[in-house]
Amino acid sequence: MFRNLTRLTPALALMLMAAGPAPAQDAPRRIEVTGEMIDTWCYFSGVMGGYDAVVGSAHHTCALWCAAGGIPVGLRADDGTVYMVLKLEGDDPLAEPETLLTVASDRLTADGLHYVRDGVNYLVVEAVTANDGIVNLTHETFGPVPGFAIPEPAQ
Amino acid sequence: MSRARFALALSLLALPAAAQDFSAGSEAASWGLLGESPARFSAEVVDVLCQITGDCPPDCGGGARQLGLLRTADGVLVLPMKNGQPVFSGAVADLAPFCGQTVEVDGLLVGEPEATPAQFYMVQRIRPEGVADFVPADRFTATWAVANPEAAAAGGDWFRADPAVRGFIAREGYLGLGLETDRVFIEDWF
Repeated sequence: MFRNLTRLTPALALMLMAAGPAPAQDAPRRIEVTGEMIDTWCYFSGVMGGYDAVVGSAHHTCALWCAAGGIPVGLRADDGTVYMVLKLEGDDPLAEPETLLTVASDRLTADGLHYVRDGVNYLVVEAVTANDGIVNLTHETFGPVPGFAIPEPAQ
Repeated sequence: MSRARFALALSLLALPAAAQDFSAGSEAASWGLLGESPARFSAEVVDVLCQITGDCPPDCGGGARQLGLLRTADGVLVLPMKNGQPVFSGAVADLAPFCGQTVEVDGLLVGEPEATPAQFYMVQRIRPEGVADFVPADRFTATWAVANPEAAAAGGDWFRADPAVRGFIAREGYLGLGLETDRVFIEDWF
C-alpha cells in the first residue's frame, strides 16, 4: 500500500500545485472584544518604539495622524491579540476617517464578526457596545511618542 | 520510489503554507523595523473586505477601504499597512489605481512572530504587469492635497495641517485627555 501511495503522491502534488493554494481562511465567528483601538503600523513595525510606548495617551496624536493617513486601525484585545478593523458600525474605514479618529486610543468593547485569513485577524465591527475613552495613560511613563508629536511651546 | 523522492513530494505539497523568501531582486530601503525583510513579488491588488466577506463594491471601494495584495506565488493575502513616504501614510492611494490588476511590488515585510503570526507589508515601489519601470509608492500626500486644497495651500506637513486631525486636537488635546490635562503636562514636560 505504501508503494502505491508513494507512486500517487507526485501526481497529487502536481495537481494541487496546478490548482493553486486554497486561501487559509476560517468561517467567521461572532465575538465580543474589549481592548484599545491602536495604530497598527507603529505597533507592529516598532518604528516609534516598543509595544508599550506606541499605545495609549503617549501615542494618541500619532494614532490620529496614522488613522487620517489611511493606515489600518486595530483593536488590541486584553490578551494581546490585534484585530484589524475592516468596518466600524457600517462605515468603510477610509470613507469616514473621522469615525476612526473619534475612537483612536479609546478602550472599547466591540461586537462583530471575526475572520482569520492567512494568519491575520480581521474584525467587522457591527456595534461598539461600550467606550471608556482613553484610559491607558502612557504619557506618564513615555511622554509624547514620537517626541515631536507635541510641538514645543514658543518661549 | 525512493524515500527521498517521497519526501520531496511532501515538501512540494507543503510549499504554499511555508514561509518563503521574497528578497530576490529587491531594492527596498531598510527602515530598521521589527522583523524587517525585503520582499519583491507579484500580486493582484484586491479589496480586503471583499476577499474576506464577499462584500464587493466596484473599484475596490473607490479608496474607502483597505486594499490587499493577493500574492501570485502562494495565494497569500498580504496586508499593506504603509507606503514609502515617511509621513504617517498608508498604501491605499498607491494601490487603488491598480484595483483588480496584477502588479509587482517591492518593499518590506514587517513584524515579529511573537506579536503577529503573519507579517505585514510596506510598499516602496510598484509597477503594473508588463511595464518596465517601477514608480515610487508616494502618492498619499498628493492625494491628500487634492482632497484638502486649503490646508495644502497653507504649506507644512500634511499631518499637522489636516483639518480633521486639527479639530480633534483642538477639542481633546494632544493626549486626547482634554485641554487642561494637556496644559499641565506640557508645562511639566518642556
